[in-house]
Amino acid sequence: MSGIQVQGSAVSRDVGLWEWFSNPETWTSERGILPSLLDTLTLCAGVMVVAIMIAVPLGASLAHKRKGEITATGVVNIGRALPTFAVAGLLVPISLRQGWGFEPWPIFIALTLLAIPPIYLNTYTAVRQSNSGAVEAARAMGFSERDVLFRVELALGAGLILAGIRIAAVQVVATEPIRAYLGGDGLGRYVRDGLGQNNQTLLIGGAILVAGLATATGLLMGLGERLVLPEGVRRLRVSQSRTV
Amino acid sequence: MKKSSLLAIVLAVVVAILLAATACGDDDDDSGADGGAAPEGPTITIRGQDFSEAETIAEVYAQYLQAKGYDIEILTAAGFRAEAVDGIRNGDLDLIVDYIGGSQTELRPDEDTSASPDDVISVITPAYEEIGATVLDYSPAVDGDALVVRGDADAEKISDLVGKNFAFGASAQCYERPQCFIGYTAPDVYGIEFGEEKTIEFGPLLGEALKAEEVDAVVWNTTAPQIEAEGFKVLEDDKGLHPAQNIAPIINTETLDAYGDTLSSDLNALSAAISTEDLLQWNTETDINKRESDDVAAEWLEAESLT
Repeated sequence: MSGIQVQGSAVSRDVGLWEWFSNPETWTSERGILPSLLDTLTLCAGVMVVAIMIAVPLGASLAHKRKGEITATGVVNIGRALPTFAVAGLLVPISLRQGWGFEPWPIFIALTLLAIPPIYLNTYTAVRQSNSGAVEAARAMGFSERDVLFRVELALGAGLILAGIRIAAVQVVATEPIRAYLGGDGLGRYVRDGLGQNNQTLLIGGAILVAGLATATGLLMGLGERLVLPEGVRRLRVSQSRTV
Repeated sequence: MKKSSLLAIVLAVVVAILLAATACGDDDDDSGADGGAAPEGPTITIRGQDFSEAETIAEVYAQYLQAKGYDIEILTAAGFRAEAVDGIRNGDLDLIVDYIGGSQTELRPDEDTSASPDDVISVITPAYEEIGATVLDYSPAVDGDALVVRGDADAEKISDLVGKNFAFGASAQCYERPQCFIGYTAPDVYGIEFGEEKTIEFGPLLGEALKAEEVDAVVWNTTAPQIEAEGFKVLEDDKGLHPAQNIAPIINTETLDAYGDTLSSDLNALSAAISTEDLLQWNTETDINKRESDDVAAEWLEAESLT
């Protein structure tokens, strides 16, 4: 079979890392880095939206009512101990048999379970530990419970909540590449193909991309927090997180 | 005070782990010593590739040699062919068992492949000699590559897929092999255009994907038990792209020489005793009945009176 040109998605083992990265094809082709990155980011964004919609209201309302501290925290911590890969791996055959395909449900559910604990715990802590003087003062001024939660507890705890969201986002982005092993693609495809084809360029290049995306996510969201939070709340966060 | 108690705990854990590890080691030595007059020589390190059939094959060879009194170290199955060949090359492994056609695609990717095992052996024997290893007799057991479709697919041979726009699923390895994806799509071989190309981990997931109609054709192996169980069909390789894939033990030449002829004749006797049906039966046990490969191997060796 000599003389057949390597085609399809294969990259020759002789191509160096720099050569691979500097080839525009690597970035823009149909299965290139940019489409894969977009694929990964879309999934992660969806996961984060769902996780935030579940974890923030749950954590805030339970903490405000001082209810379910032990049960809810226990349940969330079990979620924390679940191996994401195993969860997604278990869900894939089920999803296939239901006719839902490889994606997105198995990986979506597994990543959501990964994202909920840090967001929930930070939200709970933020509301539970918000300055009791401020809360009492608000009540004395005739704030409704709803206003106490939204305008005092959540407002004061915003820094901690955003930090939880940032931690969850970094974890999700760093874990999402496992979907390449579950019939999907995304940015993890390079690591998978590199391992499968014994191709160091793809393997190391893919690892750099995944690590780079996780780092960038952490940095950008940290920057976003600085921009969004008022100076006073930002300072609060420092003293608050010391007590956590 | 606090520091020293922490240290004590750490020490206790370390000691416990060490004790557990040596306890396991003792077990292995005991079972190895049952063979009577033990052959003298270096420890033979063996590691299977990371899918169930290869794992069972490695267990069969390791347990067989262990019962004969050889000093065997069996490592946890890891990696695929490239890692196995690397292990032989750099001396981490003494014995691997590989599919001969696969070995050729790894070591001599540019040579023409052949459906005749002897032709393949004549290519890989010098290639393995170069990295200090000897290819022993191949087994009659074959686990060939197979392009598999659903039972109701309108195709009997691989060239029937031309113009069908089938969705194609295979492991990452397949996409860079002339005997796999490259051969299926190359205009001068099969010239098939697939509607979609999906990378799926080699193993039962391929069958799940085919059954769920996520893909229409997958590259699997002929001894996958799900093929019959799910009513899939293996397409005939009408252009002879797939090479012969008998299994054969490949051993570090220094290790082989240290033991002399007994080791090669022991291994050849075992290889001759394994049939394609055995591979299929092992895979049924591990993949369908979800049993551990070392148990399946031990049971088979006992049934064949090889231990």
